[in-house]
Amino acid sequence: MNRTMLAAVAMLCLGSGCASMGVEPWERDVLAKAEMQLTTDELEAATDDHIYFSKEASSGGRGFGGGGCGCN
Amino acid sequence: MSAKNHRSISLILAGASCTLLGAAAPTKAVAEEASAWDFNTSLLYYGEDGDRVKDFSVSAIAKRMFVDDRYLTLGLTVDGLTGATPSGAIRQDLPQTFTRPSGNAAYTVPAGVLPLDDTFKDTRVAINASWQQPVGESGLINLGASASKEYDYMHLGVNARYARDFNRRNTTVSAGIALSMDSLDPVGGAPTPLTPMLDVGDTSNRFGEQDKDVFDVIFGVTQVLSRNLVVQANYSYSMSDGYLTDPYKVLSLVDATTGDTLLRTPTPGFGGPSHQFLFESRPDERTKHSVYGQAKYFMNGKVLDASYRYMTDDWEIDSHTVDLRYRIPFGEDRYIEPHLRFYTQTEAEFYRLSLPDTGPLPAFASADYRLGNFDAITVGLKYGWQTRNDDEWSIRVEAYRQTGTVPSSQIIGNQASRDNYPDLNAIIVQVGYRF
Repeated sequence: MNRTMLAAVAMLCLGSGCASMGVEPWERDVLAKAEMQLTTDELEAATDDHIYFSKEASSGGRGFGGGGCGCN
Repeated sequence: MSAKNHRSISLILAGASCTLLGAAAPTKAVAEEASAWDFNTSLLYYGEDGDRVKDFSVSAIAKRMFVDDRYLTLGLTVDGLTGATPSGAIRQDLPQTFTRPSGNAAYTVPAGVLPLDDTFKDTRVAINASWQQPVGESGLINLGASASKEYDYMHLGVNARYARDFNRRNTTVSAGIALSMDSLDPVGGAPTPLTPMLDVGDTSNRFGEQDKDVFDVIFGVTQVLSRNLVVQANYSYSMSDGYLTDPYKVLSLVDATTGDTLLRTPTPGFGGPSHQFLFESRPDERTKHSVYGQAKYFMNGKVLDASYRYMTDDWEIDSHTVDLRYRIPFGEDRYIEPHLRFYTQTEAEFYRLSLPDTGPLPAFASADYRLGNFDAITVGLKYGWQTRNDDEWSIRVEAYRQTGTVPSSQIIGNQASRDNYPDLNAIIVQVGYRF
């Protein structure tokens, strides 16, 4: 059901709603900054994912769920 | 870092990537244009209080851009783990003796102390490689492979992700899949679930290597909302299949009235458990669904990074995670970034503090605190600065605290007067250097 909802949101965005959202190419100065990327430090993100994967029963969300360790 | 060192690291990483990707070696191009590599490196210390887990870790990610916006990314992590971890057995008013996972020796835990398995010592090496390139006018494809090895565990994985931009690149829709094939070879052999911990030297309930496969799918939408605001929403599905039990965890078999662990007499001359402990048992399938949302908002130089994740699975674990980071620049090229993270989860349907000795045993049971009901908070601060030649240093210090509760319906007799959940306090220190 979640997938259906997401697909619906995506379609809505593509179809109409989001088409008027956003910025022109010349307005991307702020968005282009390193600190405005969704993941600013891949290594730190990977470290956190690994720590919390090892100590909690949840993983993933931002990217793939992880694995590759016998810790959980 | 000298150009020579730069080049040798590049060559080692390029070699590792070719092995992983099975691709033709780009070594020649790398050697000629070594300065095109960007490195992100870090040293990590993770330490839990008491005698529990400590991890020293070294990581590096190397990224090289080729013509036409094509990127090769290589990663390497080496972890050195030591320390003790809760075995799943409950505290007792008497000392408790356990057979080590190897089956070769025994150890004793004093009265009133939480039983920890103190043989945890491992080195983990993980490598990954990915290749990213544009597809057509507005598409992007990323193909990756990963592998890791520790003493009793091996992981091999592949993944692929496709992203496509719409609306003047203000909307990005992506989809990805990942497959992971892991194998476990537990010390002393994997025990038959829900069979007793036996005397030293008796390995009759142990069997060999086990496998686990994980299949992940992720769908995402990223939307630029304004010049200062970008948001992302992901849905992910993960299915694990195979041996999902922790071969080192046990449960205490207790008297159904007093809640005290049943005594046991080891065979004379061999030594072994002083009480009755059963190896845990988990289902061999697990399906997880996650919804993740993230927003990045630029406010006069400061950046707020806020995310939320909801996860639910068919082990009946539900979790909520909120993560907040606020980057505050100061001076010419410095920043500080406070970090707060809140986490809460419900227990798995088969989580049990202990197993009473009346009635049939359940099919599945685990006393692993990570499958219990707990909250966690992380509080951290990061400080970063840029050097004159645009290299970047950072250091972050964080404190992580878990506090859990056992459902009152599971507490029997004398257990009510004991501290049943192994709370956890850890410190994370990470130093990063990008060049």
